[in-house]
Amino acid sequence: MIYSMCFMLFLVGLYGVLIKRNIIKIILSVGIMGYAINLFLILIAYQEGSDFPILTPAETSKAMVDPLPQALVLTSIVIELSTTALLVALAIKIYQRYHTFDIRKIRRLRG
Amino acid sequence: MKVFLTAIILAFTGGALFVNLGSIPDSFLLSHTASRFYREAVVTETGALNTVSAILYDFRAFDSLGESTVIFATVSGIVLLLSRKTLPVSSAGLSLIVKRTFGILTPFVFLLSVYIILHGHLSPGGGFQGGVLLAVITIIFCIIYGSSFDLSRYPPQRKTLIETTGALLFLGVGIIGIALTGSFLGNPSAWRGVPGTLPSAGSIVPINLGVGLKVGAGLAIIFYSMIQKTLKRQ
Repeated sequence: MIYSMCFMLFLVGLYGVLIKRNIIKIILSVGIMGYAINLFLILIAYQEGSDFPILTPAETSKAMVDPLPQALVLTSIVIELSTTALLVALAIKIYQRYHTFDIRKIRRLRG
Repeated sequence: MKVFLTAIILAFTGGALFVNLGSIPDSFLLSHTASRFYREAVVTETGALNTVSAILYDFRAFDSLGESTVIFATVSGIVLLLSRKTLPVSSAGLSLIVKRTFGILTPFVFLLSVYIILHGHLSPGGGFQGGVLLAVITIIFCIIYGSSFDLSRYPPQRKTLIETTGALLFLGVGIIGIALTGSFLGNPSAWRGVPGTLPSAGSIVPINLGVGLKVGAGLAIIFYSMIQKTLKRQ
């Protein structure tokens, strides 16, 4: 089924979070996991033979895909944007203090 | 050792996901009550044609209020993290050709963002999408003209003012909803108009405008804080 593609994408993101040592690549992997979940929710809303959920003045009722997951995914995209922006800000602060993005070298405490 | 542990974690997560793959029905959500109600009541209850916008800014407007609070919290956190002591070091900007070209193009970017924000109840788009395009103007200013141009034309105090205006517009529409319909963020039926025309859909248009101002100014502040620190290091 097509849902397995979303699961593969999620596992790719999880692999990146667990294996990669560059902070920027970890942030990108977190983004990939989020996009996999968004894609899964949008695919759940899909219905065979349905149209996009926007009506026209001439046609005020038609067979449409489920609009509720699409609205919730819009919320989820905004939250994801906020978390990514905060993560990037933290990465900038880490780079200013340690002059590296490698998480193996960010281990000594510096006041 | 680390690769081994990673393989175990990936195998367990993937196994747990794929075992439950068969239990997902093909199509099941439209039979549920909330989705069916939203689909059937969108024109009569809100006057909007874009069902997703109607859900976001009318049926679940309180949810969108929380969402813009999240953006506000993010902006506050990033400004706190990347707070500056000195004035920014400006980048020099790009060449004269690029500057003149974007001098002509930038008003059209603004026009497109205003179009997307104001037509959110009729066509794909809305406050969040148009607000991101508003933030693109700041990015153009910083990259093409240098960040000191952005500081002089569009200072952070003015961005904060625009963001606060958006939030107050959202809350004001909510309080007008209390006065006219009796519930917070209610959609007054007197404002609904003819579905399909631009001044219709009641409180969705002003809420879209407020969210657009808030998202645009918020993303502009985020980008400005980050670009300052990056430029200062060089």
